[in-house]
Formats: sequence, C-alpha cells, structure tokens
Amino acid sequence: MGVILEVKNLTKKFSGLTAVNDMSFEINRGEFVGLIGPNGAGKTTIFNMISGFEKPSSGTIRFNGQDITGMKPFKIVNLGLVRTFQLVRSFKYLSILDNINVSCLSRRGKKIAKEYGIDEYSSTILASVGLVDKARIPPIILPHGDLRKLQIGKALGTNPELLLLDEPFSGLSHEESVSITNLINSLHSDGVTVFVTGHVLRELMHLVPRVIAMHQGKFIADGSPRDVANNKIVLEAYLGKGEGFA
Amino acid sequence: MFNRAYKKILQLPGYLKIWIKSFTGALTVFCVIGLILLPFSSNTPSFQNVMLRTFTYAMIFSIFAASWDFLAGIAGQVSFGHTIFLGVAGYICAILVKFLLFPIWISIFIGAFGAVLFGLIIGVPCLRLKGPYLALGTLAFSLIILLILIMGSLSEFLYGGAGIPALPRLSTNPTIEYLYVLAFMVISFIILIRLSKSKFGTILKSIRDDDTGSRASGINITRYKLYAYMISGFFAGIAGSLYAFYITAVNPSGNFGLVNSFFAIIMASLGGIATISGSALGAFFFVFLEYILIQAGFGNWVYLIFAIILIIVIRFAEHGLLKPILERLKDLWDILLGR
Repeated sequence: MGVILEVKNLTKKFSGLTAVNDMSFEINRGEFVGLIGPNGAGKTTIFNMISGFEKPSSGTIRFNGQDITGMKPFKIVNLGLVRTFQLVRSFKYLSILDNINVSCLSRRGKKIAKEYGIDEYSSTILASVGLVDKARIPPIILPHGDLRKLQIGKALGTNPELLLLDEPFSGLSHEESVSITNLINSLHSDGVTVFVTGHVLRELMHLVPRVIAMHQGKFIADGSPRDVANNKIVLEAYLGKGEGFA
Repeated sequence: MFNRAYKKILQLPGYLKIWIKSFTGALTVFCVIGLILLPFSSNTPSFQNVMLRTFTYAMIFSIFAASWDFLAGIAGQVSFGHTIFLGVAGYICAILVKFLLFPIWISIFIGAFGAVLFGLIIGVPCLRLKGPYLALGTLAFSLIILLILIMGSLSEFLYGGAGIPALPRLSTNPTIEYLYVLAFMVISFIILIRLSKSKFGTILKSIRDDDTGSRASGINITRYKLYAYMISGFFAGIAGSLYAFYITAVNPSGNFGLVNSFFAIIMASLGGIATISGSALGAFFFVFLEYILIQAGFGNWVYLIFAIILIIVIRFAEHGLLKPILERLKDLWDILLGR
C-alpha cells in the first residue's frame, strides 16, 4: 500500500484569480478516488498541475515519494502518472492502432510493449477497451463514446500506475457511460490507481468509494460519497444556501 | 551451385515482393527504370545538354521538396526558411572545394552535415513556436542569413552579393551527372519514405496532429522535433550540395533566396503534403512547366502561372495531385487488365 500521490498546499493563481487555493490531499496505492466540484471549481487545473501541463504557483506534488512539481509532462508520464483530457484528444490522421502505438512507443510503454511487439501490444490494449475491430480506421469517424475509450486506451499504452481521468463521462449516452464505467472498474481491479473527476455527483456516487469535494478552488470535504453528498458545505456549493437535497 | 545463388537472389524479402507486385510498387519500379534508361535514349547534344540538365535540376529539387515535406507534412513543423539548408550546404561545398581543395564527394556530405547543424540552430529557438509563428520565425531566420551574407563582415570573405563562382561540376558528362543525382534521389526517397512509414514516423505524425496529446502519451516532443529538423536538414543539405555543383556557383540570392523555400512548398503541395513521393511529382511538374513556359516565351509569367495553379490545386485537390492521379492510373490499369 502506501501513498502514491501526495498533494500539499497546492495553489494556482492566474493573474488575480486564484483557481486552486491551498489544496492538500493524499491518494493511496490501489485506491479509486473521485474529485468533484461544480463547473469552474478548479478540478482540471489540479489535474493540469499534477500532470505537469501547468506549473503551480506554490505547493508540492509527490508521486511515489518523488517530487514531481513542475516536471515536464512526458517525464511524469514515464514515471507512471498518466492523465486523459476533458475534451477528447486524438491524432486525427493516424489509425486507431497508431494512436495507441504512440503511447506504447514512449519510454515507459516501450519497456513492456517491446516484449510482445509494439503492434501486438497495442492490439491487446484495443481489445481491452473494445475497439479492436476498428484498429485500421482514423479516429475522426468514431462516435464520441469510442473516442472516450480511445483516450483511456492511449493512457493504458504507457502502462500507468496512477490514472487521472478528467470527466470521462462528459457527453456520453447512458449505454456509453455504462461501458466506460465497466472499463474503469476493470482497470481498477487490475491494480491501477484511479483518480477521476466529475461535476455530476450522481455518476461518481456509484463508482468510487471515496470522494474529494472542492469548490471555488478550495478543499471542502473528503470521505465516502454518502457522507460527502450529505455534507452541508457541499450542498451549498452545488445548490446554493438554504436549500435541501433530496 | 549457380542455380542456388540465382535462387537466393530471387528470394526477395516477402514484403518487397508483394510491394513490387502491387500497383504503386510496380509503377515506382517502372518510373525508376525509365529514369535510369532515359539518358541512353538519345545522343544529340541538345538532348544531353538541355533535357538531361533539366531532369537533373528537377531531381535535385525533388530531394529538396521531399525534405521540406518530411519536416512540414510528417512532423508538422511548417518552415518558410527551408532555403537556409540549401544555401548553407551549397556554401560549405563551395568553400571546401574552392579554397580548401576538398574532393567533391566528401564536401557533399560535409555540406549536408553542416545543414544538419543549422537544423539544430534553427530548431532549438523555434521549438516553442507553432503554426503561423513558426513560419514567421523560420522566414526571419532565412532573411537574417541572407542579409548577413550580403552586408555583414562575412560578405568580404564570401564574395558578398556576387557569391563564389566557377565551381566544378559533378561530372562534365551530363549523362554521368544525371545518373549521380538520380542515385542520390532514389536513396533519399527510400530513406525518407521508410522513415515516414516507420514507428519513428508515427511519433512525428502524432506531434503534427496534436502535440499536447503526444506529450500526454509520454513522448519527448522536443527531442523528436529536433530529429525531424536534423533529418530534413540533412536531405535538404544533400540537395543544396548537389545544386551548388549543378549551377557551378553559389550566391546569396540564388542559394538563400526566399523563392527557393516557396519552390519547395509549392512542389510539395502540388504533389500532396505528407506523401513524400508527391514531392517528386510536384518538382517534375514544376520544373518542366517552367521549362515549357520559358521556351514558349512566357518566362516573365512563370511565377504568376504557378501561383494560379497552386490556388486551383489547393481549392480543388487539397491533398495534392499524386493521389488523384494514382487513382486514375489504377482504374486505367484495371481496365487494361480487364478486371
């Protein structure tokens, strides 16, 4: 077990606006944690800082005991901390297989993929995310749900220890959400630590055993989904003051 | 004994066999054999001195355009200063051969490695630039070098605007010169096409399509971008060296002129960006159309006509002429074979 990710006093200021204000939390190896908060709470900014795409104004981030604050994104990925994006990103003129191949060609991905052969290893990843029959087509003609699966597949190519999923359910139909949920659950049972954001409480409630809630850049609650959903400050953040929650 | 050796030669690697039997493979082999046989088709001085020289020119610019296509089409680093590589390699060749009495063959490769070095010199400050800003940055670089050569203190040493004249040719025999350049072209294209279809090429294409996504996939994009600059610089440098010995002189406006960069861009776009082989089609089309226009007395109209053709191609065949032409030829081929 042990702590895999330790975030301490993390703060991000954008010329006057404090997007993330003194956030601290820890995630243990093998945990499955959700990060919730209304739109604009600063969830994506936290992910950007953890994955190296933005430099924190102050505070430290440690991954597996190593200080990764301000490290370059590709180095963080090669340590085993991988994120997906809220808006789907894909290499649009490459085939689905090559989209995965790119991750498998990263320094960390290559270590495993070389044993099996890059293309073969990518194909097994495609099979595990359920896109193996679409390996040869470019991603521009995929439906949104499949693009979400591709995002996760691309992350898996680098053989992550800790997977950050930024709003993996946004824009999905109910059926698509269910298949992504199953996919994430199976990843977690394979031993990947998963940290997932969402702005809709309901989606994450059934998925994760632990939720961290934030509002306007500040930490407000940490605990089981039931506790957090009944937390007075969380309710106020979502619904405004003085209203109940069914 | 002989029978066995013969059989061994015939046992080409499987994928090569399949490739030669495929339509594009057969067409490529046909074109290369045609190019090899071309100089032996006629012995008249006008053919040797005009036609073959024009072909040689087209082949040199094929390499140059293909190197631009590798950088811009495969790696997504759209450079408007590609002529720097052409000029640097040409000037290095001229200095080595003229003042230091190096052999031509060694100077060609030293020139190319000089261009690789300039690939790094341009690549490092341009790493953070994207899209139109990268194009402007490389354009600025190319102008700076041009101005240094014309007006700076280097200009005295390098003969200023007049350049270094009277270089030797690759060979005084146009046929042999042609065959040398053809060999360079075939090898350059094989390497560039193999690279662009390899896993290395996949990484470069991922940077082109989405560099943030590429970083998130654990790719050190800085390193790969620099590789792309260096490889592109090497082949542009080869073209630049050959070009210096082709026109037997180097001068700032001829070798560092912005127009060379635009030639490469036009050739690659005419053929089809990110196809590599399209650059050869574009270069031949471009050079021979220029030749015909000059012969017909429209020499002053060349750039105007090219600009119009480019606009038409971009409007109606944005992926270049190579793919539609290949498709038509394949249809014709299938009809001829009665398929």
